[in-house]
Parts: sequence; C-alpha cells; structure tokens
Amino acid sequence: MSTIDYTKNEVFVEGNRTLKQIDDVIIAPLDRIPNLKFFIALGFTLTLLLIGTVAIGLSFYYGTGLWGNNNPVGWAWPIVNFVFWVGIGHAGTLISAILFLLRQKWRNGIARFAEAMTIFAVITALIFPIIHTGRPWVAAVYLLPYPNQHSLWVNFNSPLLWDVFAVSTYFTVSLVFWYVGLIPDFAVLRDRATGKAKKVIYSIFSLGWRFSNRHWQHYEMTYLILAGLATPLVLSVHTIVSFDFAVSILPGWHTTIFPPYFVAGAIFSGFAMVQNSLVVIRNVFDMQDLIPLNTLETMNKIILLTGTMVGYAYSMEFFIAWYSGSQPEYFTFVNRAFGPYSWAYWIMFSCNVFIPQLFWIKKIRRSIPLMFIIAIFVNIGMWFERFVITVTSLSRDYLPSSWGYYSPTITDIAILLGSFGLFFTLTLLFTRFLPSIAIAEIKAVSEGAQPTHHGEDHE
Amino acid sequence: MSNQQVDMNNLKKEIPKGIFIKGLILLVIGIAAAVFAYQIDPLRASFNNIIALLLVVSVGMGAIFLVALEHIVGAVWSVPFRRIAEHQSFIFLATPLLAIPIILNMHDIYHWTHLDAVLADPILYQKSPYLNEPFFIWRSVGIFVIMSLFMFMFYRNSRKQDETKSQKTSKFNAVLSAPFMMLFAISITMVAVDYAMSLEPHWFSTIFGVYYFAGTFATAISVLTLLVLRLKSNGNLVSKINGNHYYSLGGLMFAFTAFWMYMAFSQYMLIWYANIPEETFWFLPRMEHGWEYMSIALIFIKFIIPFGLLLNRNSKMNPSRLKVAAYWIIGAHIYDMYWLVMPTYNHASGTHGPVFGWIEVGFVALSAGIIMVVYYLAANKKNHLPIGDPKLQRGLDFHL
Amino acid sequence: MSKLYSIAALFDTPNSIMDAAAKVQDAGYENYDVNTPYPVHGMDDQMKLRPSKMGYYTITIGLTFMSLMLFFMYWVYNIDYPQVIGGKPLFPLPAFVPIMFEATVLTGAVLTVAIMIIFYFKFPNNSHPLHDSDYMKAVSSDKFGICIEATDPKFDINAVKDFLKSIGATQIDEIYFDEEEVNHKNKVLEPKFVIGLILIAGFTSLSVYLHMNKLLYIPPFDWMMVQHKVTAQDHSDFFENGISSRQPVEGTVARGFMPYLYVDDIEGASENLQNPYPATAENIELGKRKYLTYCSPCHGDLGKGDSRLKGQFPNGPTIHSDKIVDWTDGRLYHVITEGQNVMPGYKKTVTRKERWSIVNYVRTLQRALDAKVEDMQ
Repeated sequence: MSTIDYTKNEVFVEGNRTLKQIDDVIIAPLDRIPNLKFFIALGFTLTLLLIGTVAIGLSFYYGTGLWGNNNPVGWAWPIVNFVFWVGIGHAGTLISAILFLLRQKWRNGIARFAEAMTIFAVITALIFPIIHTGRPWVAAVYLLPYPNQHSLWVNFNSPLLWDVFAVSTYFTVSLVFWYVGLIPDFAVLRDRATGKAKKVIYSIFSLGWRFSNRHWQHYEMTYLILAGLATPLVLSVHTIVSFDFAVSILPGWHTTIFPPYFVAGAIFSGFAMVQNSLVVIRNVFDMQDLIPLNTLETMNKIILLTGTMVGYAYSMEFFIAWYSGSQPEYFTFVNRAFGPYSWAYWIMFSCNVFIPQLFWIKKIRRSIPLMFIIAIFVNIGMWFERFVITVTSLSRDYLPSSWGYYSPTITDIAILLGSFGLFFTLTLLFTRFLPSIAIAEIKAVSEGAQPTHHGEDHE
Repeated sequence: MSNQQVDMNNLKKEIPKGIFIKGLILLVIGIAAAVFAYQIDPLRASFNNIIALLLVVSVGMGAIFLVALEHIVGAVWSVPFRRIAEHQSFIFLATPLLAIPIILNMHDIYHWTHLDAVLADPILYQKSPYLNEPFFIWRSVGIFVIMSLFMFMFYRNSRKQDETKSQKTSKFNAVLSAPFMMLFAISITMVAVDYAMSLEPHWFSTIFGVYYFAGTFATAISVLTLLVLRLKSNGNLVSKINGNHYYSLGGLMFAFTAFWMYMAFSQYMLIWYANIPEETFWFLPRMEHGWEYMSIALIFIKFIIPFGLLLNRNSKMNPSRLKVAAYWIIGAHIYDMYWLVMPTYNHASGTHGPVFGWIEVGFVALSAGIIMVVYYLAANKKNHLPIGDPKLQRGLDFHL
Repeated sequence: MSKLYSIAALFDTPNSIMDAAAKVQDAGYENYDVNTPYPVHGMDDQMKLRPSKMGYYTITIGLTFMSLMLFFMYWVYNIDYPQVIGGKPLFPLPAFVPIMFEATVLTGAVLTVAIMIIFYFKFPNNSHPLHDSDYMKAVSSDKFGICIEATDPKFDINAVKDFLKSIGATQIDEIYFDEEEVNHKNKVLEPKFVIGLILIAGFTSLSVYLHMNKLLYIPPFDWMMVQHKVTAQDHSDFFENGISSRQPVEGTVARGFMPYLYVDDIEGASENLQNPYPATAENIELGKRKYLTYCSPCHGDLGKGDSRLKGQFPNGPTIHSDKIVDWTDGRLYHVITEGQNVMPGYKKTVTRKERWSIVNYVRTLQRALDAKVEDMQ
C-alpha cells in the first residue's frame, strides 16, 4: 500500500475476520505453550532483572555510597531513571485516553498493550524514589499525610510531595482504567475457559459481567469519563515531575516552558518505547496482522511530531537563555553545548531532533528494522535529555569553586539495566497471560460490527 | 452518494449580507475611533492597536493553522469546514493594516527602540541583536509574507481540487503543511515575543509563545464555529453537518480552554514559586492598583466559565449553546490580550490601574469589523464546502 | 423443577438485534435486556434508556474531594501547625493546586468506577442464572441476544416464545435459576472455614512474633543495632587507655562555661562578686519566672517563708529578714549557687544569668514589701 486512498478509511486491523475468529486469534497466546522465541526473550529480560536486583540488594547492604551521586551532583541517575520511566508511561495513557477522545480508531489494536506498558513503566519508575528513601518499607511514613504522634505533616509546598500524589494517582487511575477495559475480556475468557481453575480465576476477575446493554451504557459513559480524567492527569504527572526541577532557581532548571516540554518529551520517548515493544512482541507472538504496519507508521508520525516539539523547546530554551540577558542562564546553556558534558548534549540533540526527522520519508516510516533502530535512538536521546538537564546544571551552578564532574558507577549502570529487565519481563508475562488486545473494542470497530441503518438522520 | 454530490454543486453560495453590513458599520466606527484616538491620545491608541493586532492575528493565522493541521493529520470530521477556515484565513491579509501604525509608533510603545536607553542598560544592550528596529520590521514582514504564501497555496490547491477532485492534491497539501507547521511555530512565537513580550523588554518566559498559541487556537476555532453555525442556518452547508461535527468543534474549544489554563498556570506557578525578581516584576504590576481583580477575573473569564459552559456533552452538540461559548471564548481572548498589554501602558503613561473607555471599544470594533468584512469579501459567492476533496463524503458521514 | 428466569433469544447480526430491540420495547415489555459482545451504537435509543448519569457522580465527588483537600491543607498550615516553608505564605494557593487536582482526579475516577460496579451493576455477582448458559457463551463471542425475564408483567411463556420467533430469532432458550446457586448460603461456622481462619490467625501471629523477636536479631537484619562504629564511652582497643574517645587537653574549658571561683569561700563571694546583670524589667521578669519555679516552694511566692510544702520539708526562712536584706548581691548569689544548710545548690539547674536574675528579683521583692516613702514618688 504505497498511496493513500483518501476516500476510504484506513485499515488498522488487517484480515477480515468474523467476531469468533477475533476471539480465537487474540486468545491464542494464552492457550498454547509459547514458542522458543518467547523463552529466549524472557531469559534475556530475567537476566537483566537479576543484575538489577543484585545491584539494588548491594545498595541496601552497603548504602547509596555505591552510587555515583556526590557533591555537587546530588541528583543523578536515580532521578534520571525515574523521570525516564515515568515518561515512558505517558505514551500508554496518551494512546488509551487521548486518542480515545480524539476517536482515533487505530489505537484500538494497541490500546490495551499500551496501557499495560504504562502500568509497568510506572512500577519501574516507582522503584527509584522508593529505594532512594533508604528504607523503602517505611517510605509511606515519610510520604503520606497521616495523623501521627509528632503532629507533623508532610510538606505540601514541596514538588517532591506533589510527585507522590501525582504518580500514585496516575498509577491508580491507570490501573482502574486498564481493569475496567479488561472486565468484558475476562468474561469472554471465562466463557471460553475449559479448565476449572481458569474458570474460577476468570469468573472472579470478570465480576460476573453479562454483556448486558443496560450495563454497556454506563460502562461506555464511565470509560469516556475515565479517558476524560486520564487526559489532564497524564499531562499533570509530567508537569509535576518538571516542577521538581523548574520551581528551583538553578539555571537550566528554572524555565517556564518545562511543563509542556517535559510532557512532549515524555510522549516522544513513550511512543518510541511502545513502538519498540510492539515490534518485538508482534515478532515473538506472530501478531503481524493484529498490529499492522499502518499502526506502526502512525506511531512513527507521532514520534516525528513530538520530536519536533521537543526540538522547539530546546531552541526556545536556548534563545530565551540568550534573550534573558541573565549571565548564569546563558552560561548554563553554553556549558551544556560546549562544556564537559557536550558529548551528552549532542547525543541528546541528535537522537531527539535530527534522527527522528528521517521519519519524514515514508519508506523509513514503513521499514521495520529502520524504525526500530530510530526508536532506540530516540530512547537513548530522551534518557540523555534527563541526564543533561539533571547533571549539567548541578555540576556547574553559581559557585565555580564547587564545580565537579559526575561519573556513574557500575552499580548505577546495573540498576538501570535491571529497570529495563523488570519492565520487559512484566511486558512479556502480560502478553502471555492476559489478552493483549482489547477484544470488545476490536470487535466494536471491526468491519460490519455496527448497525448500518440506525443513524440519527434515520429517525 | 451521487445525489449528495449534486446537492453540493447547487448549494447556496451567497452568504448573509448582514455579515458585511454589520462588519462595515463596525469597521467605519472602528476606523473613525482609531484615527480620532491617534489624534488625541496616541500612546493609549497604539497600545490598543497591539491588542487589536494580536486578536486579528489569532483569528487569521490561527485559521491557516487549522487548515494545515487538517492536512497534516489527515483529519476527516473537519473536512466540511475546511473551506470556511480557508476563507477565514484571508483575515490574516488584513494584519498590515494594524501592524503598520504600531511600527510607526514604535518609539512610544517599545522601550528598547530608544538608543540611549539601550546603551545605558547592559541587558538591553545584550538583547539588541534581536531587539532592534530593522530586524523587528523584517521579522514582521517575513512572517507576513511566508504565512500569506502558504495561505494562498493551500487555498489555490483547495480551489483547484474543486474541479479536478484529484487525490494528489490532498497528498501535496499534506506534504506542504509539514514545513508550514515548523514555520508557523517560529512565526507565532515571534509574534508573541515581538509584539507582546518585548513590551517589557527585560522580561522573559520560554512558554510565552505557547501561551499565545493556546489563546490563538481557541479563538480561531471559536470564530470558525460561529461561521459554521451562521452559514449552516443560512443554508450554505449541507444538512448532514450535525451535532457530531459541532461536538468536535466544541471539544477543541474546550480542550484549548483547558490548555490555555495549563500554560498560564505553568508560567505563573514557576515564576511565583522561584520568586526571582528578574521574572516576578512582570506579574507585580498585574497585582496592584485594581489589576489584581482583573487577574483573578482572568482565571474565571478565560477558564472556569467557558470550561463550565462546555463541560456538558449537550452543550457541545447544541448550536445555540455552542454559539454562546464561542462568543465567550473570543471575548475572553480579547480580555487576555488586554491583560497582557495594558499594564505596560500604565507604566509608559504613568497612570495606575486598568483603563477602559471608547478607545478600547473602538479598537475591538475595528478588529471585529476587519474580521467580518474580510471574511465576507473572501467567501461570498464561493463554494463553502471543499466539494472536490476525496475525504468530504467521509467527513459528512462522520459519526461520533 | 427449578424456577424459570427468562426466555432468551439469539440473533445473528447487529441490524437484526437493533430491530428486535425496538420491537420488544414497542411490544411493551419492561424487564428485558439486550446482550451483545460489544456495545452496539444506537442501542440505547432503541431500548429507550435514559442517558447515563455517571458524569454527575464524577463531578460531584471530584469537586467535593478537591474542596476537602484544600481545606485539609489549609487546616494543616494555618491551624494545626503553622509553619513558614521556603518563604511562602501560610496559604500558598498555587502550591496547593497540583495536589487539589490530583485529589479530584483520583477520587473522581476511582469512586465513579466503584459506584458503577457496586450500585449500578451489583457486581461482583457470579451466581446470575445467565452464567454458564449456552446463551451467555454465544453472546460473549459473536451472537446478539435478547432476554425477556419471567418477572415482566406481560410475561407469558408461549406468547413470548412466539413473539421472539416472529421478530426473527434464530434460537430460543429457556433460562432457569440454578437451584444450588440460588439457595446457596455461605455458612460462617462451617468447620473448614473456621479452621482456615484459625490457621491464618496462627500463622500471622507466629510470623509477626518471629519477625519482631527473632529475625531482627539475626544478621544481616540486625544492622540497625549492630553497626561498625565506635560509640561514646565504649571500649576500644585503638587507644592505649582503652576508651573510645580522646581526653580533652588539660585545662580545656567548654564553650560558654565560666568556672565559679568561690566554691567554698562565702566571704570572698560576698566581697568580690558584683551583679553583672542590671535590674531591667526583662531580667526581673526572668528572675521572677525562675524564682517561682525553683525558690517559691520553700520560701513562698513572695519570699515570706510561707512554704507551700506544709511541713514535708523544712520551711525556708523569709528573705525579708534584716540579715538577708543586708547581704551583698554576691552573698545571695553564692547561696543560690552553692546552697546553705539544707538548701541545695542550684548551679546545675539554673544558669548563671538566671541566678543573677533571681538575685535581682529577690531585691525587688524585698524593696516591694518594705517600701519607703521615696519609692512611691
């Protein structure tokens, strides 16, 4: 399909299936023993996870001295990783909520999967602030406002506390959204299940869903409301993450464009990660026609769009740093581009702004290996963006006598690898144990699923 | 399908004369008021002129953006409205009318045009490679030329497609809108920085361009909505345009109302929290001498009230309620521009507190007149639907 | 024979179910339902359902909790524990906005879903008669069904069957209540359940006990107690004398410490010591506070020797006797510092400044109770 026919709707689920066949295809991975590719992939991700677990265990035993964080760079890889993973989560909500509100039908095939990735990304992200508290088992004691014998309250003025509220709200609402979407699918699974154990489990999770239209009516309204709530929520989360930096007075951190810029970057990296995962998953589980090339191409367009938005923010920051006439501000940006961390800055700039521009070319947008590589570059670039923001500003701030150069340790690297391991392990297991495509949603948009002669103008 | 096509060719092309007559009256009043105002109080007149310019740029340049946005994302529901937006984008051509008086009066308005002040002030001196008169004028001319060029290209392609019905044109438009998007982003940022932000040349905010863009989008889509509703009731559009389409228009108005609040809050919050004098001084005049009430009212006028007006699903489907919301949003944008520009007038003229009188009304009337008259001249006796667009039928069939 | 729940009919296409639903509605049935594998657009209109009101719950709940959260933060910062943080006012509204927003979204989303599931759907409910029927299995996959319940006022088994057949049903089933499921009662006192509870309780207690009393004392979990560092007054082999910290250099004096030179020398004190603190209102006020705390129990509130202790401890003498009035400030200070007879010394509990302030206050008392004419002027 090289030219677009503007008179027809684009097809986002290939193969004209009956409703029954949709069930069969989507549920197939749950019923059969996965192939060798799955176990190789799982083995790989579990290895990464093990590396990370060992590194975190060592950090607990010996303390955070194992990490590279030190004066003047007190915030380093842990927050970089946190912001990176929270950002990854944003694509999922964007696909499931914002594109739902915009009625983009191509989202239906990947929405469930993207939502799951949101949840896993947030879980992965939450590891970093929690291990940072030093004693994660009492983290709640520091972070949540509850009446206590010291009659002390948490600091509602602090962006770090807003983060606690934002990320936990985000996690909860995403989980609820995901589960609400899963209820009808659990009912489908329940009615197909043959084994007793499976039937009991699916019955419990389906809550007794009966596909009643009197239920569908409220269900659809609630789904719309959840999408409506999740949309500002997803913007608020990365906005608040950006406040962590932007409410300070550190040059390079304090700039008013940070909230939308962080959100655009989050969606950018999130789409790259979802695209990467989809490419892997459709290969491992042979779902080439459920996740068609058209969907991936559309995602690449969004990567291009958000990449350009990020480019706008970079340029605007640089311009205003000069325009402001504020010496420290301008110095910080020159220092980013030409100082000791210029290597990181140019990795960031080229991966985020230049390389995605290749997606202007249709051939590249539709080539699986090329888009995979570009998306990996985008993820590298976005990780480096957080690195550049966090580390360059801290390493050289107002006081030249306390400038320093930050380098990560092997533990930092191992924890980062472990976070990838955790994320992809959860993703693989999810695809194996839950329907990774929303059955009811796909059925509703498949060919001939909606009545033809009952429009509003009919009455 | 075929009888729909026949319908379209025979659609009424004359748009209500009322738009023209009312517009002309407003325009005459506006021009008279503007000329008179420039005679008796040129300083206040020129500040009001900026408000009028920012408003007309929002409506016109915003419309070009709406057209390009539809091309680039391949939107379907908005196809029936594209021609109206294209006619609306002609309003952009009238911007020199408002920009030239500002440029002629630059010395009164912009502190950085005074060479002695720039030399005495190291910060202004540092900015002078950007903030200087020739470059300012060239930027304005450049923005005008480039944006008009794109506007004509989109319009010409669209008209040509009425005859050829070629799919290639759609594709070409999509390709064309990609560079447009980048140039638009730069242009609207420059408009915001040059005409509004540089009123206080020491102040800076990276989000300012996006802030202005948020209001621009909401205003452009509101004007478009009003035009659609007017033309629909006049019988210029097919009857298939219904609540589903209105819902989408209303949804965008709603979304960008919220988006504006998000931008405004981000800007205020970060400056308030960091509390650095080089940034806070911009907000301080907006918090004294009566401006504090104006600032609080801004939150209600530009966010809470339109948000409430559009929250309900029915209010987006119902034409009369949508109309109220659209007028409200346009009014709110004017208020927002007033809030952006006029505190500097206080500073420049040594007055205190918000000023309001016939000059303010006159300039708003002027811009309203320009919008209505230009639209009438551009749109009368033309097709109001892009009848050659291959997506049109899908657009008309659009269902939530 | 179990009770009839409903007559269920299957249809094959979305168009036929739309027509059928409209006809069932028109025929005047009330207790019926349409079951479809996915929401069919326009079905709500066919069934004449009123629009869903879920949105009103969301907005009410969201706004309520937003206000509550705002009030809570106001209460914390302004009433319960006022505290200035980061130079922000006590009611920093912009800083509250993020949390208010999150509270709105969190409660709005979670409670709306909870209300829908619990009150509208009456879920979880896995004992509904439709479950496990062939009808349910068909509508969960690719068929569209209508089911008219036996409780409907117009219900008549044969009429309903004929009616459904006449509107084009491809298959018609009778759905019965499953007696076992309907009559099933959860028996709380069932032995299995009780034993299970006891086992859980036992296991929980045991694991908490082991955790708190054993596990925390086993390496490496004892790391909070056993730390590789030297604590004060600990034994250490590092230094020759075996103590963990070094002795200060001979003659070292703590910061702010002023040695008292007249420990056993009351005459020296009374001759040489001068009160360094003038009798200002502030110092007298301080002296009064300390006097009332430390001196008044024995000497009385006004120093008249009227002890509050009612003989539980020897009464202190009055401080208004000529003997004490004639004492120098230095002597008074010495007595307060070192004590006299049964009176203990107060140098450990009352600071130097406070002791001198007490002297000032005693002088004030003496003068107040024995005022002269010139004091009144």
